[in-house]
Amino acid sequence: MEVKKILREFIKERILSYIAGILILIAASVISLRIPKILGKVTDMLNKGQGTVNEIRIQLLLMVGFAVLGFVLRFIWRYFLVGNCRHVESYLRRKLFAHLQTLPVNFYNNHRTGDLVAYAINDINAIRRVFGFGFVALIEGVLINTVSVYYMARTIEPVLTLMALAPVPIVIGVTIFLRKTIRNRFEKVQKAFAVISERVQENIMGIRVVKAFAQEEHEMAGFDRLSRDNIKTHMRMVRVSGALGPVTEVCFSISFLFFIIYGSRLVLTGRISLGDFVAFNSYMAAIMRPVINISRIVEIWQRGAASAKRLNYIFSETTDIADGDESEIKDFDIEIRNLTFAYPQTQVPVLKDINLKVPSGSTLGIIGKTGSGKTTLANLLLRLYPVPDGHIFINNIDINQISIETLREKIGFVPQDNFLFSSTIRSNIGFYHEGVTDEEIEEAARMSGVFDDILELPEGFDTVVGERGITLSGGQRQRVTIARALVKNPSILILDDSLSAVDTETEKEVLGNIRSILKHRTGIIISHRVSTVINADRIIYLDDGRIIEEGTHHELMALKGAYYRLYMSQSENPEKSMEAGK
Amino acid sequence: MNGSGSKRYDKGEERIYSKKANVTRLLSYFIPYIPHIAIAVIMAFAINATVIVKPRVLQRVIDDYLVPEVCDAAAISRLGLIFFGLILLGAVLNYSQTILLNFVGQNIMHRLRTELFNKIQHMKMAFFDHFSSGRLLTRVTNDVEALNELFSGVLINLFRDAVMIIGIIWVMFSMNTTLAFVAICSVPVIAVIAVIYRKAARKNFIRMKRAVGRINGFLAENISGMKIVQIFHREKQKFDEYNSIEKDYFESSLREVILNSLGRPIVEVINNLAIAALVWVCAGDILSGTFEYGVLYTFISYVREFFQPINEIADKYTGLQSAVISSERIFEIMDIKENVEDLKTGISCENLRGEIEFRNVWFAYEDGNWVLEDVSFHIKPGETVAFVGATGSGKSTIISLITRFYDIQKGEILIDGVDIKKYRLTELRRKIAVVLQDVFLFTGDIASNIRLNNEEITDDDVYRAIKTACADSFIESLPNGIKSEVKERGCTFSSGQRQLLSFARAVALNPAVLILDEATAYIDTETEEMIQRSMENVTSGRTSILIAHRLSTIRRADRIYVIDRGRIAEEGDHDTLMNLNGLYRNYVELSLKNRYDEADI
Repeated sequence: MEVKKILREFIKERILSYIAGILILIAASVISLRIPKILGKVTDMLNKGQGTVNEIRIQLLLMVGFAVLGFVLRFIWRYFLVGNCRHVESYLRRKLFAHLQTLPVNFYNNHRTGDLVAYAINDINAIRRVFGFGFVALIEGVLINTVSVYYMARTIEPVLTLMALAPVPIVIGVTIFLRKTIRNRFEKVQKAFAVISERVQENIMGIRVVKAFAQEEHEMAGFDRLSRDNIKTHMRMVRVSGALGPVTEVCFSISFLFFIIYGSRLVLTGRISLGDFVAFNSYMAAIMRPVINISRIVEIWQRGAASAKRLNYIFSETTDIADGDESEIKDFDIEIRNLTFAYPQTQVPVLKDINLKVPSGSTLGIIGKTGSGKTTLANLLLRLYPVPDGHIFINNIDINQISIETLREKIGFVPQDNFLFSSTIRSNIGFYHEGVTDEEIEEAARMSGVFDDILELPEGFDTVVGERGITLSGGQRQRVTIARALVKNPSILILDDSLSAVDTETEKEVLGNIRSILKHRTGIIISHRVSTVINADRIIYLDDGRIIEEGTHHELMALKGAYYRLYMSQSENPEKSMEAGK
Repeated sequence: MNGSGSKRYDKGEERIYSKKANVTRLLSYFIPYIPHIAIAVIMAFAINATVIVKPRVLQRVIDDYLVPEVCDAAAISRLGLIFFGLILLGAVLNYSQTILLNFVGQNIMHRLRTELFNKIQHMKMAFFDHFSSGRLLTRVTNDVEALNELFSGVLINLFRDAVMIIGIIWVMFSMNTTLAFVAICSVPVIAVIAVIYRKAARKNFIRMKRAVGRINGFLAENISGMKIVQIFHREKQKFDEYNSIEKDYFESSLREVILNSLGRPIVEVINNLAIAALVWVCAGDILSGTFEYGVLYTFISYVREFFQPINEIADKYTGLQSAVISSERIFEIMDIKENVEDLKTGISCENLRGEIEFRNVWFAYEDGNWVLEDVSFHIKPGETVAFVGATGSGKSTIISLITRFYDIQKGEILIDGVDIKKYRLTELRRKIAVVLQDVFLFTGDIASNIRLNNEEITDDDVYRAIKTACADSFIESLPNGIKSEVKERGCTFSSGQRQLLSFARAVALNPAVLILDEATAYIDTETEEMIQRSMENVTSGRTSILIAHRLSTIRRADRIYVIDRGRIAEEGDHDTLMNLNGLYRNYVELSLKNRYDEADI
C-alpha cells in the first residue's frame, strides 16, 4: 500500500465534491472579478457624463449583487475543496492506525513511539496542507490570475499588462529564496527551543542531585548561556523573515510605478478610459496575493512530498507473520522440537536446539539469567515473531497452521512490562472482552492478590490508572496484568517474570492461587527466582539459549549443577554474608 | 498569592488575580529599552504616514491630470517616483522596526527565562514535591515563549493599527465630511464581525487542539501497548475507539473550514457595500461637476484598508490575553517567597568532621502528619550506621533532613555540634554526599557526570573515584572510556552500572559524610557483588549512613537503627538487636525463612 494509492482512492471517493468545488470556484472567480470592471464602468459614467444617476445606481446594485453572489459561491467551493483536506487527514490517519495495528512486535521494537506518533500527526498534517492550501491556493491563484490577466490584456491594454506583470517573476524568485532561508533558520530556532526545554526538564527531574551536589550555580550559568544562544538564533531568523514582507511590497510597487507612468499616458492619449485605468489597478491588487502565495505553495508541496515519502516507508512495512486457519484445538499440550531461533535481521540465535514437551495440565518452569532466551520462548508461543515451520506444535498441530486469533485467545499471557491502558482498572482487567462480568473481574483480581489493593483506591475498580489517572506501584501493576490474563480463562497460562516487584508474602499467595488454576491447564512460569518455579512439574534451566538442565526441583537439586548453585546463591546469601561480615 | 501553603499552587487558574498589575509588571520589563521603544514608536508613525499618503498620490494623478486631461508626463512621473520613494521608505522603516522590536523582545524573554530558572534553582524540595515537573517545564519554556509575540510585536502593532485607523478617519474627514460619515459606518460592522469571528475561531481552535491532544495521547498509548492489543486481539475495538476520537477532531476541524470561509469573505462583501454606498451618495455631485472623482477613489482605497488593522487588533487582543495568562503563571512562581533556599550565607564547613546528631526531631511534610516523631541519635565521625525499616517508615526522610532538603518543625539537628541551619547550604551539601536510589545521570559524558562541574576534580581523581567505586571494569569496556556519552539520562546503562557511577560521583567529591540509599530493584548476582565491594571501599574512613535492605549491608554497620512508623524502635549492633528478640530479629528471621536475598528487611 502506498500513500499515492491511498490518496488516489480518496480522491476517487470524493470526486464529486472535487468536480463541484472546482466548477463553483470558476464561477466565483469570474463573478468576483467582474466587480472591478463594473467599478471602472461607473468611473467612466461619472467622468464622461455617459449615464444618469439612476443608471449608475443600477450598476452599483449590480456590483453589490455580484459581491453577495461571489461570497455565497466562495463559501460553497471552500466548503467542498478545503473541507476535503480535513477529510483526507482523517482518512489517512485512520488508514495509518489500522495499518499500524497489523504490524508485528518486531516493528515496534525498532521504532520509537514518539516517532510513530509524529508520523501520524505531523506528516499527515503536511499532506493535509498539500490538499488544503497547497491545492486550493494553487488552483484559485491560477484561476484568478488567468481571469485577471484576461480582463487586463483583453479588455484594457496588453502592453500595460506586460509591464505590470514584469516584476512578478522577480517576486516569485525572491520569495522562494527568502522562504527557504527562513525555513532553515526557523528550524534552528526550533532546535534551540528544544535544547532549552531538554535542559530545563533534565534540571527539574534531577533537582535532587543538583541540590545534593550543590550544582545550582553551574546550572544557572549553563542555562544563561543556552538562553543567550537562543536570542542569537532567533535574531538570525528575524533578520531574514522580517525582510520578506517589505521586499515583496517594494517589488510590487515597481509594477505600480510602471502603471502610473505608462497607464496615465494611455488615459491621456485616449487609448484607455479612466474607468479602465481604475479597474486595472484593482486587477493588479488581485494578482498580488496569489503571486506572494507561490513560494508558500512550493514549500507546502515540498514538505508534503517529504512526508509522503516517510509515510510510504511505514505503509510499506508488512507483517512477516502469516496467519493459519486451524481453529479447532482440543488438547493444549505444547511440544517444541529442535528449535533454533534468531530474531529477524539478526544472525545470532537466541534459542538453540530446544526440545521440550509440556503435556496439557502440567506446568513448566523456565529459569535462567537475563538474556538467556526465556522471554523469547514465550514470544514464539504467542507468535509475536515468525516461527520456523515444523518446530513448535500445539495439540500436534504446527503452530503456524493455527489461526492467530484462536491461539492468542487461548493463551493467557502476562508480559514482563506491566503495561496498562489509561482507563479504569475494571476495563484494564476486562480488556479481553466486553462481555466480561464484574464478578469475573473481581474474582480474577482476588486470584491475583490485588483485590484489596484495588478496594483501597479512591474509586475502587473504577479508578482510572495511567497517564490521566493515578499511578499504581510496580507490584500492583504486575498483579493487575495477571488478573487481566486470568479473566480470559485461558487454556494456556504464561507468566513472564510477573511477580518480580511483588513482596514475598503476596507472591506466595498469588502463586498458590495460580497453582490451583493451573491444575487443569497448561502453564509456563518464567522467572529468574528459583522460588517462583519451585513447584512446577518440570523445570528447565536456560543458559545462553540452550537447555542445560531439566527435571523437577528435586532432580535438579540432586544434580548439584547450575540450578543448585543458583538456588543456593539466592537462598543462602544472607547467612553467608552474615558470616563474611563477622 | 505568594504561595502561602504549597497546595495552593494547584489552584493557580482559579485564583482571582489582578490582570492590570500583571500587565504593568510586564511593561516594567521594557524600562531598560525605553530608547528602543521610543524609536519604534516614531517609526510606527512614519510607517502609517506612508500607508495613508499612498492613495493620495493616485488621487492627485487622477484629479490633477487624468480627469482634466492635462498632459504633463514629467509631473506624473514625479508623482510616481514620490509614490515609489514612499513605499521604499515604508519598507525600510518596517524592516528596521521588526528587527528592533524582536531584539527588545528576545532580550526581555531571556531575562524572564533566566530569572525563572534561577528562581527554580533556589526552591526547596518541598516545592518540587507539590509542583509537577511537567508543569514547571511549561512555565520556563512555553509560557515564556507565549510572551514573544507580546514583546516583539503585539503591543507596538496594536498601537500602530490604532493610529492607522484614527489616521485614516482623520484624513477622510479632512477631505469630505459626508463621505467620511458614510465610510466610517462600515467600521463598527467590520469590528463586530472581527470580534465575533475571532471568538468563535478561538473557541473552535481550543476544541481542535484538545482533540489533537487526545489523538496524540491515544496513539502514543496504543503504539506502546500494541503488543498487548495484539496478544488480546483487541485491534477492532481499539480501532473503533480511535475512530470516535478522530471523528470528534474531524468535526471541529471542518467547523474551522466553515468559519474561515465565512469570516474574511463577509468583510469583503461589506467593503463592496461601503464602496457602493460612497459612489451612490456622491454620484450626482460628480456628474454635476461639483465633486472630484479622485477624492471618491481615495475614499474607496481607504475603505479597503480598514479591515486589515481592525482584524489585526482583534487578533492581537486574543494574543494579549493568552500572554497575560502566561505571565500570570510565570509571576506566580517568581513571587513565591516561602520555600526559597538561601544558598550563599552561613558559616563555612570546609573541615567538617562528620558528626551528626538529631535531638528530639519532629518532622512532617504536611502539617500535622508527622513522619518523624521525636527522633534522636548521635553518629560520631567515621562511624558507619544503618537505618532499617519498612517502606514509608521514615528512613529516606532522615536522609533528606541531614542534607537539609527540608527544615524540621521541632527539635534540633546538629552537624559537628552546630545547628544545621547555620551552615552555608552549598558547602554543607558538598561535604555530605548522597547516593540516591534513583540514580540520575545528566547529558554529557561519564567524566562530567562524576565531576559535576567541579573543576578541582582532575581526570586522575575521576579515575581514582571510578576505581574505588569498582566501576572501572565496566567503564573500560566502553569504547570511549570515561569520555563515553551518557544518552537519554543513562538509559543505555543497566541499573547496577548506574549505581556504580553514582558511587563514583560521591567518592570524587571526597565528602565528610556519605549517605547511601540502597536500591531495592533486582540486580543480578555479579553486579550485586560488585556493588557490595564498592560500598565497602567508599564507606571506609568517613562517616557513612546506610539506608539498607540487604542483610549483608546492614551487618557491616557499627550501629543499626530500626525505624518503625517515624520512631526509632530499636538500636544497637546486629548481635545486640538479635538478642533483643524484637522487631529486628523478626525482620531477619522472616527474611531467612523466605530465603530471598532481596527481602525488604
